[in-house]
Amino acid sequence: MNVRDAEFCVIDLETTGLDLRKDKIIAFACVPMKGMKILVNNSYYTLIKPEKYEIKAMKYHGISQHDLNDAPTFEEISEEILTRLKGIVVGHAVEIDVAFLKKYFKKAGIKFERQTIDIALLEKWLGERLGERKTNEDLTLDALIKNYGLKATYRHNALADAFFTAQIFQIQLLKLLKYGINSVDRILGILSSCKLSRCDFIF
Amino acid sequence: MIPPKEFLRKIKPFSFLSEDEIDRILSGLEVEVYPKNSVIFKEGRKLEHVYLVFSGLIGLFEGEELIDYVSRGELVGVISSIYNTRTTLTARAIEDTVCYVIDKNKFREVFDKNPKFSSFFLTFVSKRFRSFTNLAREREIFEETTFLTEVEKVVSKKPVVCGIDSSVEDDVKKMEENKVGSIVVVDGEQKPLGIFTDNDLRRVVLYGNKSKSIEGFMSSPPISIDAKKPLFDAYTTMIDHGIDHLIITNDGRVCGVITSKDILSQLEPSSSVLALYRKSIKATTIEELKIVFEKMNVAVAKMALKGLHFYDLSRMITSVHDAIVTKTIEIVSKEYNAKNFVWIHMGSSGRREQIIATDQDNAIVHEGENLLDFAMAVNNALAEIGIPKCPANYMASNERWNVDIESWKNYFKKWFNEPIPDHIRYLSVFLDMRPIYGDTKLYNELLEFVEENVTNQAIRFLALDATIIEPPIGIFGIKHLGRGIDLKKYGIYPIANGVRVLALDNKILEFTSTKERIAELVELDVLSREVSSSLLESYEFIQDLRLKHQSKAIVMRGGGDNIISVKELDKLDLLVLKESLKIVSSFQKLLKNKYAVERGL
Repeated sequence: MNVRDAEFCVIDLETTGLDLRKDKIIAFACVPMKGMKILVNNSYYTLIKPEKYEIKAMKYHGISQHDLNDAPTFEEISEEILTRLKGIVVGHAVEIDVAFLKKYFKKAGIKFERQTIDIALLEKWLGERLGERKTNEDLTLDALIKNYGLKATYRHNALADAFFTAQIFQIQLLKLLKYGINSVDRILGILSSCKLSRCDFIF
Repeated sequence: MIPPKEFLRKIKPFSFLSEDEIDRILSGLEVEVYPKNSVIFKEGRKLEHVYLVFSGLIGLFEGEELIDYVSRGELVGVISSIYNTRTTLTARAIEDTVCYVIDKNKFREVFDKNPKFSSFFLTFVSKRFRSFTNLAREREIFEETTFLTEVEKVVSKKPVVCGIDSSVEDDVKKMEENKVGSIVVVDGEQKPLGIFTDNDLRRVVLYGNKSKSIEGFMSSPPISIDAKKPLFDAYTTMIDHGIDHLIITNDGRVCGVITSKDILSQLEPSSSVLALYRKSIKATTIEELKIVFEKMNVAVAKMALKGLHFYDLSRMITSVHDAIVTKTIEIVSKEYNAKNFVWIHMGSSGRREQIIATDQDNAIVHEGENLLDFAMAVNNALAEIGIPKCPANYMASNERWNVDIESWKNYFKKWFNEPIPDHIRYLSVFLDMRPIYGDTKLYNELLEFVEENVTNQAIRFLALDATIIEPPIGIFGIKHLGRGIDLKKYGIYPIANGVRVLALDNKILEFTSTKERIAELVELDVLSREVSSSLLESYEFIQDLRLKHQSKAIVMRGGGDNIISVKELDKLDLLVLKESLKIVSSFQKLLKNKYAVERGL
């Protein structure tokens, strides 16, 4: 499928931590894209009430316990979230977010399966095309936001991060088009080959 | 708050909107990216959206002609969306551009509801400046410092004044001589009694007698403002009184007149370059030209920092520069009565590629009459205006470069036949000659002679000269990065000089700009399209870097040089610079092979 006809859904989660076993999702945001166009008006953001409260993360995100008390649980809005997750799921280090979502959907009795695009991996690949070896520090969302000329005075809100991610992805798509890469399958192929070679900096 | 909201908030006129209204706009918002050269909308369309540039640059075109730029934070498509009219221009992305695309219905809702928001467009977009009055009262709108500068800083002309008993005819003559649209009627102490403008002149023509005194026709009492007041007050005063000319006073005495045009030209740097051009053409003294030149440098620097590119800028600068030089020569020649000569520019000015810190590079071709004193006067006047003298003394006041046509021919003949280093250097300088003022017949004659007397030997030596300094490219990238890179030495010279060699070899002499020369070389099949486009891109990129580098220096009131340090470059710039220098290097290889430079001369 041509990139310009594809549907993407750029997501970001706020969680209490990165441990899939014990940490919780406390906010979900998504910004849909139709081809290279970001549909800001259809973006969505919700807080999610965790089953058990974890005080430390609440402080960290600036989300108060009070806010979460009034929020729906994931199960209550799992259908809503599922319908919004149309097309290919895009995010920064998106694998972690997707793993969290899978776990939550599973609990709600929903099978969640999507193709994904990680903008950090894509950035690494684009860098290599230009003969640059990007370090992990160059690939953090903060670094990308800066390098793409998107000023972030306000961050660590899932919706803001999702939007920045969408803007970065949009420009990455433009760069890919210039290399003559205009199909979704090519991009997915590139990323899966990239994933394999990622071993070289893990070990 | 999501980022688009944050961005909108900071931009006029969205900053006038309430929370709800911004949300209205956001509910119809999409973010679209337009690759370089793609069309955003064509002329003759009714638009469905208003476009706000988030990054990049849009050009508005009438046919192929570029009319205006729309850059970050600026809007386009408002008129068509609001009035449902057809667009008159085509919008095309000049760089990769990201736009916030706002649904026209949402935009209109807010437009109809919020008078502050809509009057912003009515005044600035449709240029109906009368309704400015209401807006003007809302001071907080104009945080721009331009509006806070003192009136006297904008006034460049000495006031044109007359006594109350003078005849209208004499006074109009005075206005005509000074090329102004108004004359201030003053008393013995230079205090204003009234003002007489082009508008009042109509009444004289219709009902008056031009030999009568001006008292009966002037507007009185005159409206004036103190020189220390901000520009902003001057503009509101003019609008409140419905006048176009406002008298500026210092201690009650007339010290100038400001027009609404003067003020508006302060608003937009690009329109101010146009205004400066007009001003330089209308100027009658060296002092006025000096002011024009100073302002031009600042305006250009600002535009460069806004992201305008080298070719567009250098074209504008060259026009203003040429106009200033022409005017200077006209003013000086009144005193010296110089005739039968052509004033020539060489170097970057000859190539129409000058940017900010460019020295004088000029010469005279004449028919035998000694013009040294005249040339000296022009060189001095130009230096006074702010164009520095050439340290290597390539100037018309140098007796070597101020000779008759036959001597010039002999120079070229000698240079072509004895290619010693000095002569090769002269050729590099003078082959970029371009006539600025005077008798172009002389220039054409010289050009014809050059074309007929080029020698292959000289061409090979010029090729050697263009390839001898190689860019510092090593296996690991750019060498000696820490010391900074001399963009002129390693980037601009090798390309400009190399292209000149090819141009000369193919008898392309009437074109002096590197861009035009390359285009001609492609036409003649000397360069392939690939080589030419990468060469042009590199050239423009390096020139852009240098321009930005010098602009920063100008804005911060320092001098500009050609050495760029790594700190100034972001990662991508550095990468592109490396690529550009590689292209320079392979272009040099091409020249070396073509002219067998390596095999010795």
